[in-house]
Amino acid sequence: MSLRVDGWEGAKIALASLRANRLRTVLTTAGIGIGVATLLAIVGIIQGLNASFEEQLAGLGSNSLSISKFPWVMKGSWWEYRNRKNLTLEHAEALRRVPNVVAVAPNVTRIREVTGRGQQLSSVRVVGTIPDYLQVSTYELAEGRFLVEADEGGSVVVLGADVAEALFHRDSPLGANIRIGERPFRVVGVLARKGKLLGQSRDMLVAIPLNTHRRYFGRWRPLDIGVAVDDPSTLDRVEDLVVGALRRHRQTPPDKEDDFAVNRPEQLAATYEQLTAALYAVAVGVGFITLLVGGIGIMNIMLVSVRERTREIGVRRALGARRRTIVVQFLLEASAVSAVGGALGTAAGLGIAQVVSWITPLAAAVNPLTVVAGVGFSAVVGLLFGIWPAARAASLDPVEALRYE
Amino acid sequence: MLIQLEQICRTFRVGGEEVRALRDVSFSVAKGEWVAVVGQSGSGKSTLMNVLGCLDTPTAGRYLLNGKDVSRMADDALARVRNEEIGFIFQTFQLLPKETALANVELPLVYRGVRSRERRERAAAALEKVGLSNRVHHRPNELSGGQRQRVAIARALCAEPSMLLADEPTGNLDSATGEEIVRLFEALHRAGHTLVLVTHEPRLAARCPRAVRLSDGIVVADGPGPEVARQNLEDLGRAADKGAA
Repeated sequence: MSLRVDGWEGAKIALASLRANRLRTVLTTAGIGIGVATLLAIVGIIQGLNASFEEQLAGLGSNSLSISKFPWVMKGSWWEYRNRKNLTLEHAEALRRVPNVVAVAPNVTRIREVTGRGQQLSSVRVVGTIPDYLQVSTYELAEGRFLVEADEGGSVVVLGADVAEALFHRDSPLGANIRIGERPFRVVGVLARKGKLLGQSRDMLVAIPLNTHRRYFGRWRPLDIGVAVDDPSTLDRVEDLVVGALRRHRQTPPDKEDDFAVNRPEQLAATYEQLTAALYAVAVGVGFITLLVGGIGIMNIMLVSVRERTREIGVRRALGARRRTIVVQFLLEASAVSAVGGALGTAAGLGIAQVVSWITPLAAAVNPLTVVAGVGFSAVVGLLFGIWPAARAASLDPVEALRYE
Repeated sequence: MLIQLEQICRTFRVGGEEVRALRDVSFSVAKGEWVAVVGQSGSGKSTLMNVLGCLDTPTAGRYLLNGKDVSRMADDALARVRNEEIGFIFQTFQLLPKETALANVELPLVYRGVRSRERRERAAAALEKVGLSNRVHHRPNELSGGQRQRVAIARALCAEPSMLLADEPTGNLDSATGEEIVRLFEALHRAGHTLVLVTHEPRLAARCPRAVRLSDGIVVADGPGPEVARQNLEDLGRAADKGAA
């Protein structure tokens, strides 16, 4: 008898047996299903998080660097960073001479309240900078204009989308007067909406000329320097050159580490991935354990099934079924249960991930490969945990099996 | 000769002790014969039935079935021989309870790899032969004992084996129904089937043209059914007298 017959007949027998024990099948299926659902929901949510984070990072621009006293990902004490020499306008000028650099924007930020039309916004990022900032930061203009050279020292302001909306609703703020702290400013432009990064709005800001900022909000504030390059592929080389230029300028001794940080969005991504990788591992571990429990459930049920059907096995053997035929029959039964469980679990897991993405800000995205892996893996679990019961079924002595009560 | 048993021995090990269920059993059965294997419980007839049915292999001796030596065959080969050469009829019918009569009868053909349309046709024909063409789609629990045994006989016939091997086929039936089954066997015998019937009932053995009597694993009589059955009854009577005394 061919394997085709083994497989086809085995499948029919397996299905008939599953139909005959509906409640048991459903419960066993649920065991595997819950495992797969847990695994997929967690993986889906984490993949979604990663995807949305990557998308947000893409908004930071793939062709820019930000040089600061403080690294985005701090590894030492804050005071150590705090006590570094400030970055200066001279440093910024030096960076303009680095090849491939197309824009350099020194900038300084304070949090201030902003009032306009009788309304007050309490914590707005007030960025003092120069015209190059637009290119470095990858903001775009929604209306009006950005800062120009001629604004330097003047009291003009470009509003972030959130600020414009909060103070002026749908009216155009162009030409209107607002206050930053106590100081009056005239609105010359509005930035296009950028969205959120890690849950924080990137549009709750205003940009004013750098010198005005220093005059009104303090000269001692440390500068950051944003640098844009013409081609993202040159970024690594530019970073090296920037580091070299700054060390030269700041006369950093060769045996000392950089006393400034070159920040790139990828670093954030790497740190973030490190963080989620641990979470991922734990979650996947939990999912696997759940699957394991489901698998043991299948083994248990299959052993019961083999015992219950001892006489049936004896009859089949007497009528010419070979051991292999019996093994195939029970393996198919076990993997059918777990594949069905896997499929239902996949649906449930995707459903949970979808619900999470509706009711929370977390976006859930499931890689189709994960689905294939989920269903495939649960079928393999069924197969593995079915082997022992199937082997037991096949090893029964037909004489004994026929006599079994 | 269809069946040729040459000095068949079958020894079991029970708790370190050797139990010799069959000792040098030799006899032959020709094609078309109807033979009863008769003996009391513990006489070794069940062991002989398992060996004859290729469910078990002898410890020593040679068993030729249809010219093939099946006494040393591996498990898979034995399964094939059972499927092709033997039609089993059991005391407890051994039907699959969740399957219809038709599906039960089809079963040997499933394991022979016959396509489903042909299987269905042959199974239906076999059910007709045993007078159950109106019960094709009934499940065993919807059938009477006699009908169940007839389904089992149809299952045995369906694969057209070289012999039918019946183990106490009337043991679970009342006498009237048992009589029907015996009549069916008589008809099958007339139609040329080879029948081996294992039983402890001398009355049933008396209906067979030939009977082989086993006692303590040894063939003690081999002759016309009525004669062997009478001997058997006399022995039983003596044993009963001894017991009474």
